[in-house]
Amino acid sequence: MELGSLQDPSKATFSFVDEDHTLANAVRFSLNQDPRVSFCGYSIPHPSDARVNIRVQTTGDPAREVLKDGCQNLMLMCQHVRSIFDKAVDDCRKNNHMEMETSIDD
Amino acid sequence: MEGVSYQRFPRVKIRELKDDYAKFELRDTDASIANALRRVMIAEVPTVAIDLVEIEVNSSVLNDEFIAHRLGLIPLTSERAMSMRFSRDCDACDGDGQCEYCSVEFHLRAKCITDQTLDVSSKDLYSSDHSVVPVDFSDSAGYDSSEQKGIIIVKLRRGQELRLRAIARKGIGKDHAKWSPAATVTFMYEPEIHINEDLMETLTLEEKISWVESSPTKVFDFDPNTQQVIVVDPEAYTYDDEVIKKAEAMGKPGLVDIRAKEDSFIFTVESTGAIKASQLVLNAIEVLKTKLDAVRLSEDTVEADDQFGELGAHMRGG
Repeated sequence: MELGSLQDPSKATFSFVDEDHTLANAVRFSLNQDPRVSFCGYSIPHPSDARVNIRVQTTGDPAREVLKDGCQNLMLMCQHVRSIFDKAVDDCRKNNHMEMETSIDD
Repeated sequence: MEGVSYQRFPRVKIRELKDDYAKFELRDTDASIANALRRVMIAEVPTVAIDLVEIEVNSSVLNDEFIAHRLGLIPLTSERAMSMRFSRDCDACDGDGQCEYCSVEFHLRAKCITDQTLDVSSKDLYSSDHSVVPVDFSDSAGYDSSEQKGIIIVKLRRGQELRLRAIARKGIGKDHAKWSPAATVTFMYEPEIHINEDLMETLTLEEKISWVESSPTKVFDFDPNTQQVIVVDPEAYTYDDEVIKKAEAMGKPGLVDIRAKEDSFIFTVESTGAIKASQLVLNAIEVLKTKLDAVRLSEDTVEADDQFGELGAHMRGG
């Protein structure tokens, strides 16, 4: 993964090697939620190359920091989904177990 | 942490959970997140699969590469895969990918000595590691437990023999579908269906019944007692627009309003048996997190590089 930017730090294009729509679309979504972002889009320049370019333009903050925050937010969300999914699985197992016990009792 | 105000924390509700099947709701998030999760589950959650086959003897009717391909497609239990190493970046073995940290060895020896055809199946594969074995389907399906049915690899007639050594390695579905832990992963938007009751009342009994029957899936039903059309199963709706077209054809546009709730998704996950369906979802989140970390870390390296200033440029050969 590499970084390509000009003199103005509020506009930058980031090139992610070995990534595709999976990551890029989620990052784009996360960045577009950020009020500091004036534009964010991504493209896959050639389908045979494992590479995505993500363009970030902000209202003034450095694009690099904003991208980092976007990733951080996604991470937090992943963490959150993971913990609630874990909990939901446990609850589900517990309920199933109870149902089985009651059916044995019947 | 600044700028978190716009962030949403999704909710999860599990509807059904079996070893190889999971159905759950994911709410308060966006299609891009749901799709990232789906794509990771299919193509980027690692499993173990046979990757290298050395054939000693093969006098069966199938040629060597055919058998090697079939062996590769057998799902192997891969709970350990997340903590295993990819052979390509394993430093314990010098790149030949045959050490305990990155590979599992299998042996298969079978010879038919009777007049009855011998089925060589995944049950005949002997693993060097008891945690990585061919997936056993016998308990879940309706087979007799006495009848041990594995996945058939080849059939041998009298005198034919198969002897081989196979190396299983960690990999991801992106490189080859044999490493994909998912049989199917799908998500759908939750539909919101509102019947315009006033307009519905203007329909005759026959019209109501024929409208209900115009839906290819059983979304609506006609209650003969109250003479009303009711929504019985909104999730059976496949966004086929048939009922909307039917209403228009009957001269009653706007009879029903169907909308996709764009922030709630119903996931169905089916696993090949390599990983439990619930574990597959958790592993997918873990993989996604690793990816995001990689982006952040690589930026740190650029930053660190900047701090070195001229020295950094010098080291890069500038």
